[in-house]
This record gives sequence, C-alpha cells and structure tokens, in this order.
Amino acid sequence: SCSRAKDVTMPAKLPVSFFSTRSPVVDLFRGQLDYAEQLRQDSEIALYFFYAPWCGQSIAAREEIERVASRLSDQVLFVAVNCWWNQGKCRKQKHFFYFPVIHLYHQSFGPIEYKGPMSAVYIEKFVRRVMTPLLYISSRSKLLDFLSNYEPGVVGFFEFNASPQPPGYLTFFTSALHSLKKDYLGTIRFGVVTDKRVAEEISLVHSGSVYLHRHANTSLVYPKDIMNFTAENICKWALENREMLIRWLRPHGGKSLLLNNELKKGPALLIFIPYNPLEEIHPLLDEITKVALEYHKCNKSQAAEPELQHVGDSDSPAFDSSVADAHLKFSETFPIAKYPCCNTVVLPQWHSISRTHNVCELCVNQTLGVKPNKVHVPHCNFLEIEAALDSFYLQEHTFFQVISNTIECSNFLSFYSPFSYYTACCRTVNRHFLSFISSEKTIFQTPKVAFSSHGKKDNIQFSIPHIEDRNCFIPDLNISSLNITGLSCRTNKTLNLYLLDSNLFWIYAERLGASRSTHLKEFAAIVDLKEEVHYVLDQNQSLVGPTLENFIKNFSVLYSPLKRHLVDDPSVHFHEERVVTEVTTNTFHETVFLSAKNVLLLYYAQWCGFCASLNHIFIQLARLLPPNSFTVARIDVTRNDLPWEFMTDRLPTILFFPHQRKDQSVKFPEDFSVNLPNLLKFILHHTSLSSSEPCTKECLHKESVLQQGHISHLEREIQKLRSEISALHQAHDQLEAQLSEARREEQRLQQQKHTLEKQHKTLQLHSDQLQATYDQKNQELLEMAEKLQELADASENLLKENALLRILVASRGGKLQSKDEIKEPLQSEQTLSEDDISLSTATAALEEKRIDSIDAIETDHSSGNRTE
Amino acid sequence: GAAVQRFLGPLLCLWALCLPASSGAAARGLDVASYRERVRAMFYHAYEHYLESAFPYDELRPLTCDGQDTWGSFSLTLIDALDTLLILGNVSEFQRVVSVLQEGVDFDIDVNASVFETNIRVVGGLLSAHLLSRKAGLEVEAGWPCSGPLLRMAEEAARKLLPAFQTPTGMPYGTVNLLHGVNPGETPVTCTAGIGTFIVEFATLSHLTGDPVFEDVARKALKALWKNRSDIGLVGNHIDVITAKWVAQDAGIGAGVDSYFEYLVKGAILLQDKELMSMFLEYNKAIKNYTKFDDWYLWVQMYKGTVSMPVFQSLEAYWPGLQSLIGDVDNAMRTFLNYYTVWKQFGGLPEFYNIPQGYTVDKREGYPLRPELIESAMYLYRATRDPTLLELGRDAVESIEKISKVDCGFATV
Repeated sequence: SCSRAKDVTMPAKLPVSFFSTRSPVVDLFRGQLDYAEQLRQDSEIALYFFYAPWCGQSIAAREEIERVASRLSDQVLFVAVNCWWNQGKCRKQKHFFYFPVIHLYHQSFGPIEYKGPMSAVYIEKFVRRVMTPLLYISSRSKLLDFLSNYEPGVVGFFEFNASPQPPGYLTFFTSALHSLKKDYLGTIRFGVVTDKRVAEEISLVHSGSVYLHRHANTSLVYPKDIMNFTAENICKWALENREMLIRWLRPHGGKSLLLNNELKKGPALLIFIPYNPLEEIHPLLDEITKVALEYHKCNKSQAAEPELQHVGDSDSPAFDSSVADAHLKFSETFPIAKYPCCNTVVLPQWHSISRTHNVCELCVNQTLGVKPNKVHVPHCNFLEIEAALDSFYLQEHTFFQVISNTIECSNFLSFYSPFSYYTACCRTVNRHFLSFISSEKTIFQTPKVAFSSHGKKDNIQFSIPHIEDRNCFIPDLNISSLNITGLSCRTNKTLNLYLLDSNLFWIYAERLGASRSTHLKEFAAIVDLKEEVHYVLDQNQSLVGPTLENFIKNFSVLYSPLKRHLVDDPSVHFHEERVVTEVTTNTFHETVFLSAKNVLLLYYAQWCGFCASLNHIFIQLARLLPPNSFTVARIDVTRNDLPWEFMTDRLPTILFFPHQRKDQSVKFPEDFSVNLPNLLKFILHHTSLSSSEPCTKECLHKESVLQQGHISHLEREIQKLRSEISALHQAHDQLEAQLSEARREEQRLQQQKHTLEKQHKTLQLHSDQLQATYDQKNQELLEMAEKLQELADASENLLKENALLRILVASRGGKLQSKDEIKEPLQSEQTLSEDDISLSTATAALEEKRIDSIDAIETDHSSGNRTE
Repeated sequence: GAAVQRFLGPLLCLWALCLPASSGAAARGLDVASYRERVRAMFYHAYEHYLESAFPYDELRPLTCDGQDTWGSFSLTLIDALDTLLILGNVSEFQRVVSVLQEGVDFDIDVNASVFETNIRVVGGLLSAHLLSRKAGLEVEAGWPCSGPLLRMAEEAARKLLPAFQTPTGMPYGTVNLLHGVNPGETPVTCTAGIGTFIVEFATLSHLTGDPVFEDVARKALKALWKNRSDIGLVGNHIDVITAKWVAQDAGIGAGVDSYFEYLVKGAILLQDKELMSMFLEYNKAIKNYTKFDDWYLWVQMYKGTVSMPVFQSLEAYWPGLQSLIGDVDNAMRTFLNYYTVWKQFGGLPEFYNIPQGYTVDKREGYPLRPELIESAMYLYRATRDPTLLELGRDAVESIEKISKVDCGFATV
C-alpha cells in the first residue's frame, strides 16, 4: 500500500473526435468553449453536451444525443464540447463533478441543465419544452384538456391588444423557462390564454393574472399584491402550491434518498408503465389519472354522499353537541336490519356484563366504515367476527345498568380501526325464553332497546329485528361496496401514488416481484414501509382503471384481503442431485413442512462472509446424514421473503425442524461455534427428544424404524471404516513383509560381499605366490640360460678343441704316417686308435649333456605356461 | 504491470457475475458479454507484454517496455496473476506458470524485502495458487492440501519473514533481509497495516503445515495493536515496534491502516473467530463515531478525535466491500456512491481527494490503477445486484482503456 515514484512519464494523448464527422452534432473535441459561445449567437435554441472522452456515461449518451440531433437539428444547435482535454478552454473555465453535462439555452436564457434520464425520448421532450415553454391555449376545449391533466398546470391570461406585448408576458414566459431549471422533470406545465372568453372559464378577468389549477383543493390566483411579479417568484409560488396527486419517480442511480423519502410518507402505490414522453396520448396514463383524481376527490364526495362524510367526522366534538341529530342520521342510514354479519354470544360467567345480561347479539356494522370489495371478500368474514368479539370483551364497561327486561344495544369502535363499528345488543333470557326466541322470530321487535354510542349511554328507545339467520338478510351491494371517490380522505391508510417508467426502472418492479417473463411491462404494487409489507396487483389482470380501483379498495378496508407478497428468487433452479437443497419462497413450505424428514435450514445471504465459510460444513453434514430422513437445506433470505414467523434478523442462522414436530423448530444456539460435531450433537439432541414424548405404538414403531435406519447407517459407516482399517492393516503387513525381505536380501548381499572379499584376498595371495614362483622360475630360467650359454660356450670350446684336436690328430696322423712310413707304422696306429676312442666318448658325453639342458628348458617353459 | 493484474481480478469477477442478472443490465443498455471480452483482452494485453518484455523481473514498466525488480526478485507479476488466470479459465497457462515458478524462484537471496508486501503478494499468491491447483486440474501430491510444492515455497518465503517478528512487542519490523534477517540499523517504525496484515496467510499456513508458529506471531502482533489503541478506540498510522509509541497519530481507514481492518474481518470469517470480529466491531464503532461525515470517512487525531485531514484516499475504497461482508449493505452502498462520484469526476480515483474542495490534492493526483473501488463494486453487486454497480464496471473499462493503455501494457496515470 505504498506508492513508488515513477521516473518515466508520457504526455497525454491528443484528443480525437468523439462524434463522427457526419453527425449533426458539432464536436469541439479540443474543448473550444469560446467557439461554442460564438456558434450560439446564431441559434435561438442551443444544446451543449459537455463530455469527457473516457467517460462511460458520455459514451452511452452519445448515441442518444445523436438521435435527438438528427430529429431536431434544423431548429436546435447541438454542440459537443470535450471538457477534459487539459489544454482546452472548457477544462480551464468549467468545473464539472460528473459527465456528461447537458446545458440548454433559449436565446440568452440559460443554462438550463438537463438532469433527466439519458434516453433520446426524454432528452427530446425536454428540448421541445425549452423550445416552447408556454402552450398556447386557444379554445375552451383546449383549456379543459390542459387542466384535466394529472400534472399541475399554470395558466396565464394575457390580452394581446395593440401593444406588441402585454405587460408581464415576458416575465411569465421567463418563469416558464425558469421552472424547467428547478423542476427538471417538467411536471408543471405553463399555458397562456389570450381570449377573454376562454379566460372567464377559470374566472380570470384581468390581463396579466396567473392561475394555478388544482384538482382536489381550490385553485389559486397568483397574489400580485403580496409577491412581486417576477419570474422566480411565480415559479416558486407554483412549485410550493402545486398539488401532486400522482408523481413520477425517476431515481438517477446516484446517491439519493428519493425513494426512501417518498416511501417514508406512508403507504405508496407504485405503478410501472412503459412511457414515451413524446407520444401525444397516453390512454393508460389517463385512466390512472382518473382513478387518482377520484381517489383524492374529497370535497365532491361531501356533496354527493353527506352521510359518509358525516361518518368520517363522527369523532369530532360536533357529534356530541348534536346527538339527537346524529342519531337521526344513524337511524336513517344504518338500519340494523342490514347488518349482514352477526353472532350470538352467550356471555361467560366472568364477564362483567353477565351480571345483567347473559346473551348478546354481536353484529359487524360495516356500513359505518370502509367496506371491502364484494368481489373479493366473503360477506361474513370469520376474522371480522373474531375481531368484533375481541373488541366486545374489552368494552365490558359499556354495559353496566341493570335492565333485565330490555334489550340494550351499544355501538362501539373496533380497537383496530376507527371506521369499523360493532353493534352489540344484550339482554337476559332464561331457558324457556330462549326456546321461545327460536320459535318466534318477531319477539325482539317489541322489547325496548337501549342504544348507547361510544360508551355513552343514550337511552333512546329503538326497535330492531332479531338477527339470527344470516340467510334472511340479503346483503345490500350498494351499501357494502366501497366507492373509491374521496377514499383518500376516509381511510387512515391513505396511499401516495407514484408512476415509474418501466422502460427505465423495470428492475425495481422485478425486485417487488414482477415476473421476468412478461412482455407487457405493466405492474402495480403497494409498498408499506412502516409495516414492512408490500402487495402486488396480480399480473394476470391487465392494468386498467377498475382493477387498480379494486386494488386500492382492497388495501383500504379493514382486514384487507390482500396478501403480503413474498418475493421469490426465480433464478434458483431446483436441483435434485445437490446435497444441500436450495430453498426458495415457493419451495419453502413443501421442503420444510410437507416432507417427512428432519430439516436443517441455513439462512444465508450472498454478501454474508460468515455464511460462505459454513458451506463446506453443511456439505459434509449433508453427506453424513442419511438422506432419506434428513434434508440439509439453505435459503438466501435477501432474495426470498418468508412469512414473518420464519424470518431472522441475524445471519447466519440455523433452524432445525424435527420430523413430526415441524411446528417446534429449534434454533442453533448463537454462542456455539458452528462445526460438524456441534451440529451433529444439536441435531441428535433434538431428534431424540421425540422419543421421550408420549407416543403411540405406531409412532414408536416408526421411531424405532427410523432409529434402526440411523443405526444401520452408522453401522454401515463403521463397517466401511473398519474395512478401510483392515485394508490399511493389510497394506501395513504387506509393507512389513516386503521390508523384512528387503532386509534379508541386504544381509545376503552383505554376506556375499564378505565371501567375495575373502575370495578376492585369497586370489590376491595366490597371485602374489604365483608372482613369486614366476619370478623364481624366471630367475631359474635365466640361470639355466646362463648355464646353457656356458654349456654352449663350453661345447663350442670343446668343438674348437675337438677341431683343434682333429687338426692335431690329422697333423699327428700325417706326421705319424710319415714316421711309420719311415719307422714303426704299426705302433703309432694303435695309439691313435686309443686316442680316437677317448675322443668319441667325450663327444658322446657332451651330446648327452646338451639334450639334458634342452629338456630342462622345455620343462621350464611348460611350468611357466601353467603359472600364467 | 502488476498493478493491472491486481486490478483486473475484481473487474473480471464483476463481469463474470453479470450472467444471471443480465436482464437488469440490458435495461440500461449495457452489453455485458462484450465488456467481458474487452476485459479479457485487456488482461492479455498486459500479461503477454509482461512475459515478452519483463519476465523474469518482478514488474513490467509499460512505458519503457522493460522489467524491473520492485519487491524482491520473485517474478512477482506471475505470482500475482495466478488466480486471475484461473478466473479467466486459462488452466494450461496456470499450470505452465506454476512449473516456471517452482523452478525459477529462490528466496535465499540477499534482498531487503518489505515484510508486508512479501506476505500479501508472495505468500498469499502462492497459497491461493496452491489451494486452487486441484480445481485447476493440476496433479496434486498425495498429502494435498497439506503438502505440495507451492505450499513448500510459501512456507519457505514465510519463514524468511519470521525474524522480523522478534521484537519486544511482537509487532514486526517493516523490512527484513531474506538472507540475513533484520538489518542492524533497521528502523523500528512500521505502519499499522504492516503489523496487522498477516493473520489470513499465516493462519492458513499454520493450518496447512501444522506448524503453529505463523499463526502465533500474527495473533501476537494483532493483540499488541489492540492493546495500544487509544482511549477513544482508534489506531494511528505508524508505530514504533520496540517502544510501542505511536509515531503518526492520524487515524482513518486509508493508507497505512487499511488492510489491518480488512484482515480482522477476513480473518474472523476464515477462522470463525469471534475475538477478531469483536475487535473489528469495536473499531467500527469508533470509526463511525469520529471519522464518518456524510458517508465519507476522514482522518482524525487518534487521541482527540479531531479532524486532521478532510481527504478521501483511493485506498479507502475497499471499505464498502468490507461493510457488505458484515451485512452493512446500506451504509456500504452510500459510501460507495460517494466514491463513485469521484470516479465520475476524474475517470479514476486520485490518491488524495479533498472532500470540501471537491478536487484532488496537489502531488497526489495520480491513479496507479488501484483495484479497491472495483472490488467493492463486485462485493456490492453480489449483495444487491444493483445495475449502478455494473455502470461502474463499464466506466472502469472505458476509462482505463482510454486513459492508461499504452503499447506495452497499462500505465499509472
């Protein structure tokens, strides 16, 4: 979260055009505001569109502006100015907080800022209003048209005589423009009348007078004598005094309390209709206007139905002062014979009235107040009688006098609503008398009746018929049906009426429960913020005047038949295969109450961080619990409304609905941390409770079956775990065996290694020995060779000697021969032979020796080979 | 570069969420599908240029088309981009990056790293990638999620940070040398966020590895901060981790403090921890009491509660998202709409915005493409499905593309 100084920068890119060149909008993308001012001089009406090129909203609005420009470019000058380019004049002079900004000028008047929706039709409508801020009303019928509109109208009467312009006209014209500045929705319409006869219709006589038309209250004429006749003042006066029977709501999407402020005022009827401001006629809107006017028409209702008005005033002190008169009214307007709904009550002993009377006839006096629409409400509502009884018991002090033989009646207010009355007529009867009543219906016409109002006793005698059988009295539809006229003043549930354009704000309708599939974007809902409820007009009924009227009436009556609308999230699709069931408003009852299972329900919301981290626990839990007896479910309570009793103000909340005791749901205690063991304990604790209760055999049986199922499930689980354990054991054993084998192998290898080493050593030794022998032999051989050499030398010597000897012998022989020849040849021959013999034996010995030495060499060689 | 990826994450989520609610958006003329494609293209524009020009440096410098190491030397953008790749559904690239990181990243380096940034980006990024890896279809080890290469990397990185926590108060130093521990001359002044922004990563790490040391130091630091809050229940901006004296006494929700509050809530949610939540709720009370004016949150003196700076910082924009997490959706929406007006004025959030003057503060006009406001919009859209929030998404796409896109990525403006 620390920033670094960047050393490299690049200047901003040059601006390029924002609109296409063919567009009718003049695009000053360099922010030339001065040039824009120049352009404006030539045009009566001008529209400036200030934009920033990066702005998404400007980009979105560009198309809309172009569409408007293509329709109005002949009358209006459209200029777009880039107010972001930092070299441009616009950026230097203007300081906008948002883009785009649309300014309009009517000649020199301006700027009028347009703040409405960025949609072509709305912009065009506004531009047209700026072009002609005053509507010229030429005839009587046009005037009536003008005045009958639901939006407030201001009419100025100016006689255009000889003078070019009557005094004050320009001021009035400017005030019309001025109002557009203040009231950008343009709700106040300005018209001008020039014909004196037309002006007389609204009793304007003097030229220069200004008239504000109002439907429900008296219309006003601008008080010139009190306020100065300036444009601002007229505009202010009109804004302050206008009446808003029906208002458009246009939330702009920014920070605003618009809806909150309006809804805080009280119950609101929101009507969504598709609206095109450019269209001349809006039939649906006219119809709604008619309903709204009727609804607010309090003054006229006084004239038409004085008795109703009277009832409305009956709480006022004036009533007490003219009791007799009032009573006369009662007797005329509310003949008791017309009460459609009665009940006979035998008073219990503890009741204070029981001291004087023991039977009372209690009638719902609907004619006094607002009545429900006949189409929707049964004639006699059980709830109403119930409420009447409640009120009656609370009002015991109103009967205290001891008149045993007369019938005493009392009108009293329901404590729920000031417009509902109950009439109670009480008397004492004995058994005999009671039977008499049943046989003689007219009996009650004769006794005197004590009639008291508001607890104040009026002992005026009055006879009423006994009401015992409802069938005798055909309810009078005219009386019991409620008229919408002036209803807003007669009920304390007055509605404020609002319109929303469903083209722009359909999302709100969807939030209130409009179905997404409808193509017709019409929808109506009543939102009561204080009661935190809202009601929706059935979307199958088309949105027309009568349905809307009924809707309003049904809301206004006491014990309204309208049902609180519960918004349901339609995007949820029911997936069977999911382990955690997603519950919506529609499936809530079915999943939680109708199913024959224990239900654990998690209340969560998309935004809820603490809920998201529970998901895995719930998935685990759902996998663990047997699915045929447990449902693990969750509901997104921000998108799914539930009846009040099932709502929670804290997320996440976990509720458990035990099977067969769905009404006794239990909440998971807040101070426990949500984890699997705790949840299981919680569930088991509350499921097992059921067995302690008194139980029929069947129930016990069921319970035991359930438990059996439970147990078997757990047993299966245990079995699974056991088998897993044994599998693990096996794997372990296997591993062990493998390990020991490996060890053995290792040992074996070690041993082998040892033996090999030994072998290696012996071999080493061997080779050393052999080396030694080899050396020895070598030595011997060398010696032998030496000896041989010696021998050879010796033999050579011998040979030489031999040769020498032979030579000697030969020479001797020659000498001897010569001698013998000379002296004794025989003798010499003998000696010579002896010499020869000795010589030959020497030679033989020599040869023998040589052979020996060769043999020795040969044996030497063979032994050397062997060692090698 | 990295800023852009951090930024795009929430934006993608925003558009990803739009699918079911497109009918509402269509009413206002928003073409959700086309914006989704544009965001995708924006991401790849930044990501591919990072790979091309800057990898293996930490970040891309989009104007000069080169890379630089900013927070260490971890190829930080890749770590940051991991989860975004998954959101975009690019599993193959995720797998590739995981293997690149396993080979290329080394924490045994002589680098002075910010304890805070290394934790949130490196440890946090690796942990989330580790936990997401099975979903991404990556083959995981037998002991997953308690073992795995990315977890080991995260643990290694976190261990390098532990020496910083060896202080008398248990509050960590701001900077640590990954090789040698805390440098001898290191300043003991650390910003509040730099002390209280560990619990989410460190507790996750402890739970996954079984080594409690990480969660313990993180909790100890949190408790030290809690003990040193002022009498009116506020914390300042910077504190001396040796003496526990507050050095900067501005209290607010923005820069220097922001993620402390964020981690109290997110830690409470992650660990289902009531103590952390009660701490936050106490702070929340004090913050509402002293700093909140018309749904803006200002800076006040932490002891007296007097306003010291009436500014809105772009870092504060995480607050509505946080509020929505605890269910305060109404207030969140209001504050968010305040912040959105600032966006509408400038097409981005300036670092400082002077609320009374309605303009930026001198020298603090920049917008480094921070994701906080868009993240808040994403949370709020989940909570409300209000189409206004989609409009912010549209505005963010348009502005960032128009203003900050350059040839090599997206630049700070």
